Amino acid sequence: MICENCKQRPAKVTVTQVHNGEHFERHYCEVCANSLHPFYVEYKQDPLSLHQLLSNWFSQTEQQPMQQKQQKNTIACDECGWSIQRFLDEGKFGCANCYNSFRPQLPNVFKRLHNGNMKHIGKAPGALGEKIAIKKRIEAIRSQMKDAIDTESFEEAAKLRDEARDLESQLSTGGDQTDVN
Amino acid sequence: MSIEHFLDNSISSWMAGVGKHSDIVMSTRIRLARNLNGYRFPLAFTEDEAHKIDQSVSATLLDASDELQMQFSSIHIKDVSELSRQVLVEKHLISPKLANSPMTGSVLLSNDESVSVMVNEEDHIRIQCLFPGLQIQEAYAQADVLDRVLDKELSYAFDEQFGYLTSCPTNTGTGLRASVMMHLPALTMTKQMNRIVTIISRLGMVVRGIYGEGSEALGNVYQVSNQTTLGKSEEDILADLQSITEQIIQKEREARDALLKHSANTLEDRLYRSLGTLSFARIMATDEAARCLSDVRLGIDIGLIEDVDVSILNECMVFMQPGFLQKYAGTSLNTSERDMFRAKLLRERLQKEEKQKTKGEESE
Repeated sequence: MICENCKQRPAKVTVTQVHNGEHFERHYCEVCANSLHPFYVEYKQDPLSLHQLLSNWFSQTEQQPMQQKQQKNTIACDECGWSIQRFLDEGKFGCANCYNSFRPQLPNVFKRLHNGNMKHIGKAPGALGEKIAIKKRIEAIRSQMKDAIDTESFEEAAKLRDEARDLESQLSTGGDQTDVN
Repeated sequence: MSIEHFLDNSISSWMAGVGKHSDIVMSTRIRLARNLNGYRFPLAFTEDEAHKIDQSVSATLLDASDELQMQFSSIHIKDVSELSRQVLVEKHLISPKLANSPMTGSVLLSNDESVSVMVNEEDHIRIQCLFPGLQIQEAYAQADVLDRVLDKELSYAFDEQFGYLTSCPTNTGTGLRASVMMHLPALTMTKQMNRIVTIISRLGMVVRGIYGEGSEALGNVYQVSNQTTLGKSEEDILADLQSITEQIIQKEREARDALLKHSANTLEDRLYRSLGTLSFARIMATDEAARCLSDVRLGIDIGLIEDVDVSILNECMVFMQPGFLQKYAGTSLNTSERDMFRAKLLRERLQKEEKQKTKGEESE
């Protein structure tokens, strides 16, 4: 048998098509079969979405009787009115206060989304940000101080100690006033 | 500056083809997601809230133009025609989500288009900085400056445990997405991309096609970005992306060398065929155009093709998209008309380049 399409090469592949309940068989060579029917898997759109994952994680982690679980899922945010179920369905929060309202449930979600992490350690806004920045600088100075002591450069270590003390006093008097760039 | 400036020009500053490793890394993008206290997130807020947010964010940025040494143009999405919105999306200046939002929203663009601040997209504020080549630190520094200016005037939603609070839990924490757009034809040709994608995903990073989530790698252009935003500091996120990017660059260079060493003739043939197709074809679908542009780009990068400028290819990648084509044609086009018009534009653009080159040589 030769290929139905190119009518040149021998047919090696049989393709079965179902059309209106009837089966048709087509015989193609490998070249034509590849171009006419490339590997094809029927996918539903959006095969795996965030809210599906979220819902699954919830049901996995909360192995409680159904009733209790349902009660849990009706917790609502008092600011925007979204229930935790809505959060799971949309995969999004309604407002900043949702984080407060659903706080006990969130570590489980974040752990999975962020490689096991549950706490922010980056930048922070406003006065809080300044404070955190100062704390970080103090930590850095302390570790420099240790190095200085290890290498017996005590003068350097003393300088660093004073610097750290200055920063610490800034922290206690409110870092936002003293650090204006 | 009027919106026409941003629509008529298909060239943005990131397309200049400069910056470090610009033969492989096309651009670096930094995005910060921020929300304001006292308003619900865009999925739940009212038009009234949307309006107030838009006003205060826009006013803050416009007022800070001296401090930032940057002039912003504010474009209200509702005032813009559908086609113009599509063009802004194709230039990566706004997202499809903002373009289709029913609520009041806007985008603030710097004149060179390197900075775009979207208001009322998925979050109240999305700061984006787009730099040419590999410039992760530089782009972040720019975004950070804008963030501080906004922080001074506005009150951000922040939580000590969770960090910056965002609409989507995948952005919570730093709200930072750092991404590099890379042209990786040799890794694709040598069928190494699947393996690389798998490895990268284990490191808290993602690889996507050029047009963001779920899109195919059109023209061998991939976007590598961080997935994790919580529990990692900004510095660590940037450093990790930098190191992964450098390793991919290294692998791509090795693959290019290997192709040149083992199949130089086949490669040269393929790349010149693509140049021929771009220069003479009469009908050109998006994927074929993207593939040919990728080939020519590779030809330029490895020194096989000498008389075409890389920046033209960046520009072609943008203007061959449906919205731009229709903007250029001045009328709406169906798919087959688009394919013909695309072929015509590509031909003209490459010929123009050819002429300029020969003129330049004559006058020398």
